[in-house]
Amino acid sequence: MIMPFVWMISTSFKSQSEVFAYPPQWIPTEFHWQNYVQAWNAAPFPRYFFNSVVVALAVTLGDLFTSALAAYAFARMKFPGRDALFLIYLSSLMIPHQMTILPSFLLLKNLGDLWAPLGLDTYFALIAPFLASAFGVFLLRQSFMQIPNELEDAAILDGCGRARFLWEIVIPLSRPALATLALFTFMGNWNSYLWPLIVTNSDTLRTVQIGLRYFIGQEGASQWGLLMAAAVFVSLPVVLIYLMVQRQFVQGIASTGIKQ
Amino acid sequence: MTLKKILLISMLAMIVLAACATPTAEAPKPTVAPPTAPVAAPTTSAPTAVAATPAPAQKTKITFWYALSGAQGKVVEDMTAKFNQTSKTAQVEVVFQGSYADIAQKLTAAITAKTVPDVAQMGGAPTLGESGAIVPVADLVSDADKKDIFDGFWDYNKFNGKVVSMPFNNSTPMLYYNKDLFTAAGLDPNKPPTTWDELVTAAKALTKDTNGDGKPDQWGFNTHTDTHWYLSAMIMQNGGKILSDDGKKVIYNSPEGIEALQFWGDLVTKNKVMPPNQHAQAGADFTAGKLGMLMRSSTFLATVEKDAKFKVGVAILPGKKIKSVPIGGASLLVFKTTAERQKAAWEFVQWMTNAENSLSLFIQTNYVPIRKSVAGLPAVKDFIAKSPNSEVLIKQLEFASAIPIFFELGNSDEQLRKAVEKVELGSGTAKDALDVAASVINKALGGP
Repeated sequence: MIMPFVWMISTSFKSQSEVFAYPPQWIPTEFHWQNYVQAWNAAPFPRYFFNSVVVALAVTLGDLFTSALAAYAFARMKFPGRDALFLIYLSSLMIPHQMTILPSFLLLKNLGDLWAPLGLDTYFALIAPFLASAFGVFLLRQSFMQIPNELEDAAILDGCGRARFLWEIVIPLSRPALATLALFTFMGNWNSYLWPLIVTNSDTLRTVQIGLRYFIGQEGASQWGLLMAAAVFVSLPVVLIYLMVQRQFVQGIASTGIKQ
Repeated sequence: MTLKKILLISMLAMIVLAACATPTAEAPKPTVAPPTAPVAAPTTSAPTAVAATPAPAQKTKITFWYALSGAQGKVVEDMTAKFNQTSKTAQVEVVFQGSYADIAQKLTAAITAKTVPDVAQMGGAPTLGESGAIVPVADLVSDADKKDIFDGFWDYNKFNGKVVSMPFNNSTPMLYYNKDLFTAAGLDPNKPPTTWDELVTAAKALTKDTNGDGKPDQWGFNTHTDTHWYLSAMIMQNGGKILSDDGKKVIYNSPEGIEALQFWGDLVTKNKVMPPNQHAQAGADFTAGKLGMLMRSSTFLATVEKDAKFKVGVAILPGKKIKSVPIGGASLLVFKTTAERQKAAWEFVQWMTNAENSLSLFIQTNYVPIRKSVAGLPAVKDFIAKSPNSEVLIKQLEFASAIPIFFELGNSDEQLRKAVEKVELGSGTAKDALDVAASVINKALGGP
């Protein structure tokens, strides 16, 4: 499972001709450290990193917020049409991403005509479409449903309101699910290539995935060593985030979620 | 907990560092060695380029979207920077838009939302001919240019018989061969095969089993993964056609086409000079010295000459009834905006495709020159002296032909690749494979 990563790191130090040497060389004969320097300078990566981090963090936090609120409503509140509404919300997961690109693009363009900071080529365009997700609601609803009703009754008896119940009891008990959602959302957004490419034209707004594309040649002349070096430093933040939430993530998979 | 804190702090540090790095990053445009830009000139900076820089009086600002990455992308950006310095009337903002597939999607969205650029570089450009969003090049080009650019390139940019886009970066398939392996096999390294039969003879001599295990370790011939291109070339070399003259159906399942596919299949099954269905490996095999001859795009020349440890030879594709070399690559499109911007856009397109720049593009990227006048420029002779293989790229242009661009071309190419796979693996005859491919595409085109 680690092999692709090992290969990526190994290739990042190779010269172009050694990349395709057969039999494959796991340890390069010469270490081309300058691949990293060259890759870093080939595109405005500092800015791209800044943008990727800002956008991915904003989307992750926004998604956690909206999904937690919605999941709480679907899981622990009773109101007419609740289940039907949830099913409709869930069915939106069946719409292929490609079908929403054009309508979203048009919407942003029209919004931009009304007020520029909401239009194309803005942080709003990069962040807003992803602030809510059906997947997040689904995941968190499952987790919130596990909280026993007795807990809720006891809390109400002690005078705890709904918001406080959500914030102080439900969320801390659902850390594994929240960590999982955070990780998936961050990773998904970090890896997002097509949407940032389509809605931005300015280099000051673009993300690291577009930076990676610079190394992939059109008719076969890709610079593999540089590409791998860039891939190494582009994947670093995701690895860091994973390490941060690792404990909760593993717990989330392993446990049933009940803390009694 | 401390590990978590360390990680959190390092993430924040990265953000802070990145944010601090940004204001001082002087070149928001990706360049490795900024070639010319004198400090004061307002070059192709990103739109956040501060309004304080004194823009030369009333240059029309236009945007140019392109889809070349790596070294080729840099050449395009450098050329644009040079235009911005020499032009007194136009200022071009150049934006990278991913691959040909990405820019096609982006242009489709832009046309619908009416946020089109002024000039765009795109593969398969004629498919936008019907969109109503472009100004056909036929309406803009001068007679002198019409005569100077090879006919094959004009054909490549036609939609419904009218030229709509301007040829820009084009490539052709070539026959690469390993001169050292030729010598070792007793073949003359300066006489590469020029006909299909000579190709088979040479390939047979080059296929060797060097370690005695009964399987060849060195193959005589192979092609890169875009097998549809080479098959189309062979069909045309045999006198066949891809698309009918009225553009309504594909006709590669003609006897000439079937003969071509049969020849291809025989290379694998009968003559045993090509490994079945191993095209992804072909380039690497050739560079590593384990393949005698390779059919691949002319853009591979610079890479292979740099990486190979043997003498690389390059030849025009062998012919059968005729010599025919299909064109690939992308073109420039001019979009309908305002009269003033269209004028600036055309000025830019003309500049990018004039003889000097066509030659410069050729020298730096091996995209073939599109003009007859390029062959006469003095710089050409110097370049050929330094890189003799590039002369072949120029010599073949008289045989350049265009596979017509039609809406189902992408699917058609895929069907051809499937047909090739079938005959290589022996799971179908050439006739059946091509009949299937043709019927699928013709149904999609709305015919019988």
